[in-house]
Amino acid sequence: MKTTQTIFEDGSHKWTAIVRDPARPDYLIDTNEYLIQHAGQGLLLDPGGSEIFPAVFSALSSEFDPSKLVGIFASHQDPDIISSLALWLEFNPGMKCYVSWLWGSFIPHFGGTAETFVALPDEGETIPLAGLPLQAVPAHYLHSSGNLHLYDRQAKILFSGDVGAALLPADKQNLFVEDFAAHIRHAEAFHRRWMGSNEAKRRWCERVSQMDIDMMCPQHGAIYRGADVQRFINWFDELNVGITRA
Amino acid sequence: MQMMAGLTAGDGRERGHASSGAALDLLRIVRINEEIKRVVSVAFKINIMALNAIFLAKRAGNAALGFGVLSNELRVFSKDLRESMMTLTRLIHESVAEVSVILQESRQDELFRRTAALRPDDRQLAVVLDRRDRRHAEREERIAVLRRELRMAVDDAARLVELGGVLAKSAKIEAAYGAGFATSLGQVSGEFDGIVEEIRASLDKLRHSSFFGGSA
Ligand SMILES: [Fe+2]
Ligand SMILES: [Fe+2]
Repeated sequence: MKTTQTIFEDGSHKWTAIVRDPARPDYLIDTNEYLIQHAGQGLLLDPGGSEIFPAVFSALSSEFDPSKLVGIFASHQDPDIISSLALWLEFNPGMKCYVSWLWGSFIPHFGGTAETFVALPDEGETIPLAGLPLQAVPAHYLHSSGNLHLYDRQAKILFSGDVGAALLPADKQNLFVEDFAAHIRHAEAFHRRWMGSNEAKRRWCERVSQMDIDMMCPQHGAIYRGADVQRFINWFDELNVGITRA
Repeated sequence: MQMMAGLTAGDGRERGHASSGAALDLLRIVRINEEIKRVVSVAFKINIMALNAIFLAKRAGNAALGFGVLSNELRVFSKDLRESMMTLTRLIHESVAEVSVILQESRQDELFRRTAALRPDDRQLAVVLDRRDRRHAEREERIAVLRRELRMAVDDAARLVELGGVLAKSAKIEAAYGAGFATSLGQVSGEFDGIVEEIRASLDKLRHSSFFGGSA
């Protein structure tokens, strides 16, 4: 089973990271899921692949009543992001799935009906969670051609999908980045290969530099906090992406 | 809450077995389908042969009166046979659809079973599992009904083919009285008999399919 860790709490407003599953087989990439709670409602960010549904569901249930989940936010269409959709819907058939309009007719191959999906425009949109405004932020081509991040202005947390992801060795499994220089070595190859466009990357760096961010939470690896957030943005800005050796 | 009491991981494990049964069933149905497709194409040939036999009997005139009557019967038989094959085809398509849904759901069933093993006392999860169990049972029931209907349709077709066999053999005898046409009438009725035998062998294979509890 995965473990849950509260990374932000202010009254009924809470962020929980669902991370690190010791029972996960090696052939599945490790993923982080995040739960935002506000006034008794929950939004699940990148709920993960169907194979890890048992681990995510049971970890989430230990922290939150899963029938109070009102929606799922999918940063993009990858199987490690959203292939568990049908299982979550089986549990909560009325749940909404927020995703880039680009993937609106692709993700239903994982489950759901026409009523399930809320198509987010390219420029992003505000998603309300029991009165808490959550901002979908454009991150197209990073890496998916229809890609959105989610910003919680009140908590000052940016959920950044695959941006900031690191494939960490077994002995470096801390939830937070402790030593930026050591950590970023495990992120470099991933970003070079997966991120598709230097132009898109430049725009994203400019956009998020202007945002007030205490924590940047990627879907793989560790959470950047404090000065490491800007350190990451600067590092990413310098990196040449969208190339392969082949 | 008696219904929920049964929703333990053990139940799910049984369901896991049932799903591998679904994979086997699908394989068997696909084999049955292939056999039915063969019979349908052969049955179509019979229709053309019966038409030829009627024309031949007309040309032979008074020398082949008996053969003419029989070839008309054979034509009716081939029409009945095609209708019977249409019923088989419809039933087999419905069976494939049901079994493939069970196969598709079985992976999710397995994931829910694993979830329930991690949270054995989760009542909301028990409700979901219960709903899935009922849906699964309904689907199994529909497959059982289809299986019976299919078995009956195969038996009906087999009876029909028995009749076809009798007609073909009578036509062979009548052909002998065909005077100058005896050779060609004999050839037609011989081919007829051969094809009826071919269909009989196929239907026999179908009746012994393990989908109906047989060994094939
Ligand atoms: Fe991805
Ligand atoms: Fe990913």
